[in-house]
Amino acid sequence: MDVYINSTGHYLPGDPIDNETVEEVLGYVHGKPSRLKRRILKANGIQRRHYAINALHETQISNSGMAARAGFECLDQSYLNRQDISLLSCATSQGDLVLPGFGSMVQAAMEIPDVELFSSHGICSSSMMALKTAYLHLKEGEHSNALVIASELASRLFKASRYEAIQGSGAIDFNAEFLRWMLSDGAGALLLENKPRKQSFKIEWIKSFSHADSYPTCMSVGSPLDSSDTRTWQDYATYAEAEAAGCLLIRQDVRLLENIVKLGADGYLRLLDKGFIQKDEVDHVLCHYSSHHFRNKIFEILTMAGAMIPEEKWYTNLYTRGNTGCASIFIMLDEFRRTQSYEEDDTLLCMVPESGRFNNVYMKLTVVGESS
Amino acid sequence: MTEKVLTEEGQQCLQALMRVWFDFERSLSRVPLIQKLERDLFTVEDYRKLLLNIRQQVIEGSRWITRCASSFDREFSDVRSEVIAHARDEHRDYLLLEEDYVAAGGVLSDIQEADRNPGSEALHGFLMYRATQPNPIDLIGAMWIIEGLGQKMATGWSERIESMLKEESNPGSNRQRCTRFMRYHGENDSEHMDKLYSLIDRVCKTKSDRKAIVRTATVVARLYSMQLEEVDYE
Repeated sequence: MDVYINSTGHYLPGDPIDNETVEEVLGYVHGKPSRLKRRILKANGIQRRHYAINALHETQISNSGMAARAGFECLDQSYLNRQDISLLSCATSQGDLVLPGFGSMVQAAMEIPDVELFSSHGICSSSMMALKTAYLHLKEGEHSNALVIASELASRLFKASRYEAIQGSGAIDFNAEFLRWMLSDGAGALLLENKPRKQSFKIEWIKSFSHADSYPTCMSVGSPLDSSDTRTWQDYATYAEAEAAGCLLIRQDVRLLENIVKLGADGYLRLLDKGFIQKDEVDHVLCHYSSHHFRNKIFEILTMAGAMIPEEKWYTNLYTRGNTGCASIFIMLDEFRRTQSYEEDDTLLCMVPESGRFNNVYMKLTVVGESS
Repeated sequence: MTEKVLTEEGQQCLQALMRVWFDFERSLSRVPLIQKLERDLFTVEDYRKLLLNIRQQVIEGSRWITRCASSFDREFSDVRSEVIAHARDEHRDYLLLEEDYVAAGGVLSDIQEADRNPGSEALHGFLMYRATQPNPIDLIGAMWIIEGLGQKMATGWSERIESMLKEESNPGSNRQRCTRFMRYHGENDSEHMDKLYSLIDRVCKTKSDRKAIVRTATVVARLYSMQLEEVDYE
């Protein structure tokens, strides 16, 4: 059975925060301004983002709360009510609770009765894994609709006090601070059905290639700052000791990060080679690159290969909505759907290269009308 | 930012070669010795072992390239010129490698007397066999892998090795002097790569040309990985 994205929604908490204000919200570590902030912000090109915490570091809305708001916004524009939803598929990097699964908390927040539930765990690509699961359920005829929601509340990891809790912390190393100026909060939702409505996107396929067997971990929470120590956070006697060792900081191994560009290109070339997509048929590219820095690198490698899709076809809202991890691609698709011009039969290529341990997901969509 | 290869067939060939390369990089990352290098667990002994094991292939490299040049007939005389120039550039760079080995604390006679490991035997055997065929255009695929590796050594590996040598208590070793072979490739290989791109346009005219080039690149990549895997069995 065919599967269509018939509605989309998003939720971004609070007012947009510009680059001048960002450190006032996240806090000055040991009272001092960051020396890396300007450089990292310049490279990633992000101008505004949203945080679910305020400058007093009080959480204004929970992660599952944001997911529910995005879900309701998506349903408000659809023909379905929350009671009609038969599959709820949710993704996040970190729920409000360690257990149970994020989906349970979102279901409760939305008061959806008797639903089949799926929770996907990972980083940026976890939303696409949740989407693929829902897509296959509908394709198989197991369900006739699914609500897919991805939500991130990363800012709680970036409070100044997190860095101050590290034992013997004079200066934070680059890898531990990098993501502080990259990630922010938000949620996105998609409604899938077996029949098209107005403004529908037909899902042609979703494919992913993971390379964790070949590369070390590139983005993580759970390991201590001392890389020779192989323990992870729960191996310590107390969580306080784990935090002091730096286990609860989110880290990016920046040296490994460059691999994401060639692995992203590799997957795309693979899909070209197998005939899943032709470069000339693509009308719109929605790519979740985490930083403007990578946009040029992606263009370079695709141009070199003679496989570039013209720059004017690339759409992103990274610069104004921030990098919201797994929620980014849904928030992007939602804004694209509402604000950009596209026509029936247009082809969309969505790409989510995840640097966690290098998982790349691709999706092809076709714009269809109600009559299709 | 420009397209490197312009013909339709050439572009398809380049895309396939890029995929072979990405796959090769992943297989290298699974080789125990390279895993240590890329995870900063590499020691100076590991480095000497690496140099000792790749030396034979570097020496033999100049032989298969010169033989490859002589196998091109007059229809390919322009290609032959390119290949000869390439061979001339690199046919003595094993000397640099030997000096690096000594600078990293090795004994010259050890590296000079070392045998080819089984992976190097297989790689050398395959390359010499292909180089003996008339007009061996498929060896562009071999050059793609070996030049690509030169760039990787220069830009990724040498830096890691230098920082390892700095940290290790290794009196008498001059860390810049230990990585001249790898560094050399970084300075020269991008020029070599540009020549390779134009060679792809020149020699890849049909689907069967493309298949042959990609096939040889795939075999060379596999045998090169095997050469590095064998380091730990020696």
